[in-house]
Amino acid sequence: MHLIVCLKPVPKPGTVRVDPKTHTLKRDSAQLILNPPDLYALEMAVELKETYGGKVTALMMGPPNAAELLREAYALGADEMVLLSDRAFAGSDTLATSYVLSRGIKRLEPYDLVLMGKASIDGETAQVGPETAAWLGLPSVIQVKKIQREGDHGWVVVRVREGYEEELFLSGPAVVTVEPGINDPRPPSLKRLLAVRELAPRLFSAQDLECEPEKLGLSGSPTQVLDVFAPSYQREQILLTGEPEEVAQELVSHLRTRGLI
Amino acid sequence: MAGFWIYGEWAEDDFHPVVYELLGVARTLAPRLGQRVVVVTLGPEDRKTGVEKVLSYGAEEVLFLVHPELDYFRDDLFGRLLGDMVRERRPEVFLFGATSEGQALAPRIAGELGLGLTAHCTAFEVDEEGRLVQIRPSFGENIMAKIVSRTRPQMATVRPGVFPKAEPGEPRGRVEEIKLAALPPSALVRRAVRPLPRVENPLTRARVVVAGGRGLQSKENFAQLFELAELLSGAVGATRPVCHLGWISEEHMIGVSGVSVAPKLYLGFGISGALQHTVGIQGAETVVAINIDPEAPLMKQADIAVVGDARRILPALIRRIREIKEGKNGSGS
Ligand SMILES: Cc1cc2nc3c(=O)[nH]c(=O)nc-3n(C[C@H](O)[C@H](O)[C@H](O)COP(=O)(O)OP(=O)(O)OC[C@H]3O[C@@H](n4cnc5c(N)ncnc54)[C@H](O)[C@@H]3O)c2cc1C
Ligand SMILES: Cc1cc2nc3c(=O)[nH]c(=O)nc-3n(C[C@H](O)[C@H](O)[C@H](O)COP(=O)(O)OP(=O)(O)OC[C@H]3O[C@@H](n4cnc5c(N)ncnc54)[C@H](O)[C@@H]3O)c2cc1C
Repeated sequence: MHLIVCLKPVPKPGTVRVDPKTHTLKRDSAQLILNPPDLYALEMAVELKETYGGKVTALMMGPPNAAELLREAYALGADEMVLLSDRAFAGSDTLATSYVLSRGIKRLEPYDLVLMGKASIDGETAQVGPETAAWLGLPSVIQVKKIQREGDHGWVVVRVREGYEEELFLSGPAVVTVEPGINDPRPPSLKRLLAVRELAPRLFSAQDLECEPEKLGLSGSPTQVLDVFAPSYQREQILLTGEPEEVAQELVSHLRTRGLI
Repeated sequence: MAGFWIYGEWAEDDFHPVVYELLGVARTLAPRLGQRVVVVTLGPEDRKTGVEKVLSYGAEEVLFLVHPELDYFRDDLFGRLLGDMVRERRPEVFLFGATSEGQALAPRIAGELGLGLTAHCTAFEVDEEGRLVQIRPSFGENIMAKIVSRTRPQMATVRPGVFPKAEPGEPRGRVEEIKLAALPPSALVRRAVRPLPRVENPLTRARVVVAGGRGLQSKENFAQLFELAELLSGAVGATRPVCHLGWISEEHMIGVSGVSVAPKLYLGFGISGALQHTVGIQGAETVVAINIDPEAPLMKQADIAVVGDARRILPALIRRIREIKEGKNGSGS
């Protein structure tokens, strides 16, 4: 069984810079980590491999220095590492990102399942999973908490909805996103940490993937960031200062005047 | 053809509440874009009278795709059918609730048609060029981003509870029923549905929300919020760090990673007002902040900003309100 896990390199919280000209993220300045929600997808893939046999491929689109994160994924149980990296990918929105991932996934055929995190902690759109599935012409199921093989090509999946969970039969290969918190991602294995020192991820460029250039990067991204700004608010702004008892009393009378208490 | 489309997610016997919230958004934006408001929904025939309801909430048309096997949501099938409708009718805008269904569906359509999609918008504007400017918080920083789409329809998702619901009025418009003879294939079959332990979250409906942050300094101080909430018949909310500190469980988290609230009154004790928190209180009518730092972002956006030690003001407030409720000094100050 071939399982592909998509792992996003994300800036460590607090280290992000936004390019003042293009309003895109300046990833080179930030320290990168594996997107934490993706660890649940990786763990799910490794558990599936342990149950059914086969291999797990860790797939990432990112800058060359993200290769280190793929080694981390190897230590966490992935067997192969693939990095999609090209200057032409810079400035991608979710549509362009999912296009590149879909090209990478095609290169890794045959496969049985593609697993992703629910959302990244930076862009946080939760769109890349279903969009990748659409590019590949595959079904997608988001927020999956359990998955099991049924028959030769089918899966039984349980997904989380608001207030209930839903069990579905899913035929053929598919893209699923994994609900965070549904398993306990294992710690890195020392043996694998040592082994991976000798290994390097396979690297694919836009050309290797036979990407259509107009679908890449900023030109392949239909969403366009016009501006980033600090939010402003129009409230009437009454300022109360003084001793606790005083301000409490004042506050209460303001609220009573407004019929709020 | 065009139109300002809203995805009509169906939930048991009515549209999902977020559909009514999107109708509120559409009512102000659609006229400025010169578009008609259309709710697009899929289901079996027997929903016919149910789907008419939105005609009293600002929808000028309901596009109802009918087939007996559309009785539950299937990502690939719904995505394909709506994608075909979009190709045929070319709407100008297509909005989705960011529910588990909307978040599964909108990106499938965007991917199939090669469209831009903006996630989790908290405000919209129309610019001089007649584009829909989609505004969303971004990236762990206290910033908002204005985004436009180069493709049509302009697609966006909105989390439930961010906008107020449309008010009902006189019904207008009509339901256009499109009976589908056959459905495209789907890889999905529903096997079972199991209710999860009911977590009816009182926060999302509360008239009064009393929220606390790290400024309360300890779990014991934080616990006093429950007393105040009870006095005001309100609910207790929290910031993310205090949930992680274990002062309160995560269902009480307000913000991008938690719930959105829309109370008449929101009181924030020792909360700095990070954007990730404040997007969740956008719908609050009156905001009161209590903070030692008058420069804290929440203080800057509060209707009433109280400068002082929340650990002392909280009990003073409880005492004062209790006095009033018990009739002592009932005339207020
Ligand atoms: C201010 C601002 C706002 C933005 N808002 C939007 C927006 O509303 N809509 C939009 O289309 N784009 C938007 N973008 C761009 C978006 O953040 C990037 O395209 C991002 O690379 C992909 O989206 P995401 O992080 O939201 O992924 P998500 O969809 O949240 O990620 C889900 C999963 O997809 C997989 N995945 C995602 N990226 C990769 C990767 N590079 N390699 C491997 N796996 C991956 C991971 O498994 C991840 O868990 C915005 C950019 C800026 C600067
Ligand atoms: C991806 C991401 C998602 C997030 N999602 C959420 C979310 O959904 N909800 C959320 O809330 N946060 C979220 N956060 C965290 C958010 O960025 C802030 O860190 C958080 O809201 C701050 O919480 P706080 O106000 O309790 O703490 P702080 O920012 O530490 O603020 C404490 C405040 O208390 C004041 N203070 C100190 N002592 C006193 C005193 N004695 N009396 C009165 N005031 C006092 C201080 O002046 C300060 O303003 C998220 C962050 C990230 C990166």
